Amino acid sequence: MRGRRRALRFVAGILVFAGIVAAIASPQAALKALQLPLFALFSTSRMVAAYLIGLVFAIAYGHTAATNRRAALIMLPILDVLQSIPILAFFPAALLFFVVTFQGSAIGIEFAVVFLIFTSMAWNMAFGVYESLTTIPQDLEAAGSSFGLTGWLRFRLLEFPAAIPKLVYNSILSWTNGWFFLVASEVFQVGSSKFARPGLGAFIADAGRNGDVASIAVGLGVLAAVVLALDFFVWRPLSVWSERFRMDTASGRELAKVPRYEPFRWMPRFPAVRRTIIARAHPATQAYHRASVRLDRAYASHPNVVRDVRVVDLGLFVIVLLLVVTTGLIGLGQLFLRPLPPEAVGLPWAALLSFSRLLLSYGIALGWTIPVAVVLGESERVSRYLTPALEIFASLPATALLPVILGFSLAVVGSTGGAAQLAAILIGLFSMQWYLLFNLVAGVRSIPQDLREAARSFGLRGRPYWRRLLLPAMTPSLLTGSITAWGAGWNALIVSEYIEYAQRPYTVTGLGSLINQAVLVTGDTEVLLLTILTMIVVVLAMNKLLWRPLLKRAAIRYRLEV
Amino acid sequence: MTEPHPLLKVKDVTKSYFEDGKEFKILDLIRFELAEQDFVCVVGPSGSGKSTLLRILVGLEKPTSGEVLFEGQPIRADNPQVAMVFQSFALFPWLTVTQNVELGLEAQNVPLPARQARARKFIDAVGLTGFENAFPRELSGGMKQRVGIARALAIEPLLLCMDEPFSSLDPLTAQNLRDEILQLWSDPQLPPKAVLMVTHSIEEAVYLADRVIVLSSRPGRMVAELVIDLPRPRNRKEPEFYGWVDEIYSLIV
Ligand SMILES: Nc1ncnc2c1ncn2[C@@H]1O[C@H](COP(=O)(O)OP(=O)(O)O)[C@@H](O)[C@H]1O
Ligand SMILES: [Mg+2]
Repeated sequence: MRGRRRALRFVAGILVFAGIVAAIASPQAALKALQLPLFALFSTSRMVAAYLIGLVFAIAYGHTAATNRRAALIMLPILDVLQSIPILAFFPAALLFFVVTFQGSAIGIEFAVVFLIFTSMAWNMAFGVYESLTTIPQDLEAAGSSFGLTGWLRFRLLEFPAAIPKLVYNSILSWTNGWFFLVASEVFQVGSSKFARPGLGAFIADAGRNGDVASIAVGLGVLAAVVLALDFFVWRPLSVWSERFRMDTASGRELAKVPRYEPFRWMPRFPAVRRTIIARAHPATQAYHRASVRLDRAYASHPNVVRDVRVVDLGLFVIVLLLVVTTGLIGLGQLFLRPLPPEAVGLPWAALLSFSRLLLSYGIALGWTIPVAVVLGESERVSRYLTPALEIFASLPATALLPVILGFSLAVVGSTGGAAQLAAILIGLFSMQWYLLFNLVAGVRSIPQDLREAARSFGLRGRPYWRRLLLPAMTPSLLTGSITAWGAGWNALIVSEYIEYAQRPYTVTGLGSLINQAVLVTGDTEVLLLTILTMIVVVLAMNKLLWRPLLKRAAIRYRLEV
Repeated sequence: MTEPHPLLKVKDVTKSYFEDGKEFKILDLIRFELAEQDFVCVVGPSGSGKSTLLRILVGLEKPTSGEVLFEGQPIRADNPQVAMVFQSFALFPWLTVTQNVELGLEAQNVPLPARQARARKFIDAVGLTGFENAFPRELSGGMKQRVGIARALAIEPLLLCMDEPFSSLDPLTAQNLRDEILQLWSDPQLPPKAVLMVTHSIEEAVYLADRVIVLSSRPGRMVAELVIDLPRPRNRKEPEFYGWVDEIYSLIV
């Protein structure tokens, strides 16, 4: 906790410093920067809206898949595909759809942005709900049934609480994904028309396009501050609170002290603030209790309401999905009825180049995250000092770093082409490495103390210690981290291979730049569709042929049964 | 004296699982009856299908064939006359002791004041006064099972079903809880009227039950139904007690 406060203070310091530098360097930029709090508010509101929709969707979807085995047969594969395809590639289509539907008004763009963020947040939360509900211990389910918990009451007392730990964990992940997409979607160009909504992402992107270094710095500072503040005031406390909803471990012998049910007790610091909030929130908590009693009663008299809500929710989803799938299929049909465009010949080559760059990013990420994760996981002291700094870096979505990374690349490499290559690789690295690092640290921390002690008592040190304990124990978290990292990497391609910086584009050959060229320059929907298709095929093939089998083997061999 | 009121009728219950088209029979033709005032124990080695049987008897699972009647009606899982105690305690980790005990009453829409009064009564009855606001995680195994018992008693059931309720407790705690269950059962003011308990411990069965149903292993078949007519309180050191234990032991092996 102390480390995080230091991190917050550090960011505040940077902000003030950057503000002063910006004010001196260019008064105009400083003037613009005054709008930033408002922009931050806009961006955060979009995130909140998308998150709330995603949450309701995730609960309905996960719950249905967990309780209806026949529905699960189609719902799980759909979720799996949705989770692994690079959604950013579909954004132009979604944007055009919403813009046309709302006849070019700003609302349409807002909807498109919120929709895109939603698609980056919802799937993993839905999986979390599904997993939580299917892993409720049999006896606990039986207790629920034999004491008569059904419908709403079962949801309120058993199912929702059981899903809370995974929901909170996945919400944090979703917000990280969401920022990535928000920054990429607030400004968007399709052909010659530019769509933009005021917000932090748009601010940073504009600054990058104009090569306005001071504005970029201030924008990034504000973004980091917002992300870290949310982390500090919302997600950390929620994580602590969610511990209460964890199932007891198999041993169940430890008598852990659970924080008492005082409202807002979980807010960690600032007792004065907490007291005020408690006092202010008292009517609200009272109202909540009254409302839940009333809901119980309402449910007793309208037992079908929950089901109806779920049907409406999932019905909407099915309609949207069908719409997307049929338009996609029609598009595909048209695509293959005509002879392939000449650009199609270049697709495998572009795919190979994109893949190689990601592989390079992944290799670099692995190279530094594995040793650092071991140090962070094994040493409490190093972790205390280093984690806050790492979290500041990790709080910045790779999409927001585009201008900085390109500027850096230009400074390092002389040639334009080389700089674009380096930038693409670095952006891949930045979008992948944090997932790897934080998963690996968790993996190292999850090694039971007696295993470590056993290793030490048998004198395992150095290479054997790594080979026999650390690496095997890290394997499952390495795999989950890698899958998430590659998912982020494929999305990052779409912004990293075509960067506009200081009024000129920097491009490399690859799937991402083909998509951008089709959207921005040629307007060739055929090439666009083919490229997206190639990308999806590569991603799904990698999941099916590489990650899935590896995960299966790791789950059997390297599970740390405690 | 009038004939005791019959509660549970188990009619030729059979249970099989199917895997890869092959049939695995777990329970074979279980039949017995249970009336008010009964204390029945089902003993059998691990894997003989005791838990499965109990789950079928309380309506949590359907038998492959046969049926279970409670007061003449097919049993339903949410029957408020039947309550269940679990080996793993099955307490809701996010609810306090009181909230856990109130669980069944909440489902029955008992108004809050009545609910709280009833919960307090049974928390006191199992000796957990002072722990009303504790979370299960903070309690020892014995105390957790006391919460489980209070939760079952709070719905004032006629029949209390228990699946190896004392197997994960230390011997001393287990013995205390056994005596308390006997006391609750024999107290006409307090529920339950009858107890059905599943256990792998023959001694425990002989100590508690007035009737013991002995199951064989794979598939679980009724080997014997014995009436234990030892006077209470029973003494484990007496030769008659040992006689019963030895007899059941020889039936299982
Ligand atoms: N859902 C199931 N599918 C297949 N086999 C099961 C299932 N549930 C229980 N069994 C099998 O039934 C047998 C009896 O289990 P159980 O009733 O738990 O026995 P006990 O409680 O006497 O130890 C075990 O061999 C177990 O493997
Ligand atoms: Mg059992």
